[in-house]
Amino acid sequence: MIDRIALFGRRGLNLVASLGRAGQFLFGVLAGVPRPATGFPLLVKQLYAVGVLSLAIVVVSGLFIGMVLGLQGYTILSDYGSESAVGQMIALTLVRELGPVVTALLFAGRAGSALTAEIGLMKATEQLSSMEMMGVDPLRRVIAPRLWAGFLAMPMLAMIFSVVGIWGGMLIGVEWLGVFEGSFWGNMQSSVEFVDDVLNGLIKSVVFGFVCAWIAVYQGYDCVPTSAGISSATTKTVVYSSLAVLGLDFVLTAVMFGDF
Amino acid sequence: METSAYISLRNVVFSRSGRRIFDGVTLDVPRGKITAIMGPSGTGKTTLLRLIGGQLRPESGEIVVAGQNVPALRRKALYRLRETMGMLFQSGALFTDLSVYENVAFPLRVHTKLPEDMIRDIVLMKLEAVGLRGARELMPSELSGGMTRRVALARSIALDPELIMYDEPFAGQDPIAMGVLVKLIRDLNSSMGLTSVLVSHDVPESLSICHHACILADGKVIGQGTPEELRAHPSEQVQQFLGGKPDGPVPFHYPAGAVAGDFGVAGGGV
Amino acid sequence: MAQRSLEVIVGLFMLAGLGALLFLALQVSGLSPKSAEQTYTLYADFNDTGGLAPRGKVSMAGVKIGSIESISLNKDTFQARVTMSINGDIDNIPADSAAVIRTSGLLGEQYIDISIGGDMDSLAAGDTFYATQSAMNIERLISNFASGK
Repeated sequence: MIDRIALFGRRGLNLVASLGRAGQFLFGVLAGVPRPATGFPLLVKQLYAVGVLSLAIVVVSGLFIGMVLGLQGYTILSDYGSESAVGQMIALTLVRELGPVVTALLFAGRAGSALTAEIGLMKATEQLSSMEMMGVDPLRRVIAPRLWAGFLAMPMLAMIFSVVGIWGGMLIGVEWLGVFEGSFWGNMQSSVEFVDDVLNGLIKSVVFGFVCAWIAVYQGYDCVPTSAGISSATTKTVVYSSLAVLGLDFVLTAVMFGDF
Repeated sequence: METSAYISLRNVVFSRSGRRIFDGVTLDVPRGKITAIMGPSGTGKTTLLRLIGGQLRPESGEIVVAGQNVPALRRKALYRLRETMGMLFQSGALFTDLSVYENVAFPLRVHTKLPEDMIRDIVLMKLEAVGLRGARELMPSELSGGMTRRVALARSIALDPELIMYDEPFAGQDPIAMGVLVKLIRDLNSSMGLTSVLVSHDVPESLSICHHACILADGKVIGQGTPEELRAHPSEQVQQFLGGKPDGPVPFHYPAGAVAGDFGVAGGGV
Repeated sequence: MAQRSLEVIVGLFMLAGLGALLFLALQVSGLSPKSAEQTYTLYADFNDTGGLAPRGKVSMAGVKIGSIESISLNKDTFQARVTMSINGDIDNIPADSAAVIRTSGLLGEQYIDISIGGDMDSLAAGDTFYATQSAMNIERLISNFASGK
């Protein structure tokens, strides 16, 4: 029994210690002033790896989720004779919740795991160490561009996801099920508020992007430099990112849309 | 001795995960010479290089490199000092996403503001020195183990360092590649006036090129001197290592509890 | 891949993201570019605001002209005081107009409709509507109907 409690305490201490290390790590990454001449090409390269390469999965998922929302929404709303509200329902769901959250989950799986594996492998093959010995700080050279790229790419992807989803919903609702196009857009426009819905969704995706990128690069940098260590770090990235995104989503939703 | 030492360690103590790796190591690396640091695997030879490079900090003791006490240096000064060091990692540690050419150009691009054509000249010169000028367009994944090490060597001398550290340069190399590396290390040392530190457990190769050697065991220096002095060293431990005898003062067994305890013959252990 | 084409692709990606944001702003939330214009405040006192809520719309002839800022209780009159912000370019609401709480559809959300009066003077910023009509309470309506009053 005492052993169990001690184990619990040790886990707690480990958790606090690793949070502390992650914070210290973040400080080390962000402390340096980036030099535009060397930093920009590195950032572009990472934006390509993290953003552009995630585009396909984000667009395809967005399209399907929008189409499903169109179908489900139409079925439910037509019971009340208000199927013209389907546009409003799709837009609000996507812009407020599904856009940022699903994109962040896809991002963690597609880009986050790749970041962790890449950095972990660089650590295992002593590339980070050798960079350090060359007088180059790997935190700034390797980690910082990846963190910033995640931070910048995620909101872009979330916006694209929402737009593609709304378009997919329109395909189903308007083209297939015959909702009048004017009321589809009209209902949407009268109920979606730019500041309350679109901007809040954007803020969510910025927060998620930062958290996912942070977790991914930290797990890579902190991993045990063996093949087992890298694979467990990659798994941790996906699990922790997903949990962090869902948890933070609740907190942010409560702050943004809750009435208190 | 004191004035000609490029690196000197004084009573360095270091432990990792509860195990004491160095217990008061004191040694000197003379300037402009090749110094071999030898010892059985697991005695922390690589750790020693990391201590010299400032990647790890000792619990106590001094590590003076080129007149500066490394553990006490601030970040900026440490990074500046590292620009004068080259290190050849055991795996080569080439950047896998860059070509051979870009790998060698990397330190130049980061630390100098040289124009592109000058960088090109320097890179090709360094690659020529290791005999791989023709391989400049290859990616690291297309190189053999020996070639990887030679490219890494070209990269570590790109900035014309004062000190170069080799971490197990001969491990896992075929005899030809090993011969090439031995020749390269010797040539670089004599032509560029480098101070070289060589960490290895390959006794014949190391002794054939070094001017000065230290043998580490059990966290201590058990013998140092020129290769001739070491061969004539009175210590049994030194002779065991140089001669490659399986048992002797360096124990065959990893420290363990009494045999009886593990096999349960001492009775009563339920 | 050459640095140049990498930059072009990443540039296109960023443009696509910003374009998506623009689409969400203009087409989805119906934000018109001049929406950051000035608004002015009007008040109205109601006996019963029913399910009226902040951020609800204020409309005239079915067209949205503003939104509800806040709803508070006036302790002296025991009436609800609704603060509305009205678009600045609707500056000619006749002074004797009435603020009416209506429901969109049978069960939809409640909003304030302004039924236009005939006065030559207009309401200015900070004015209060003279005439109001409170929320239609279906329960009360039914009980009134049933008791034949």
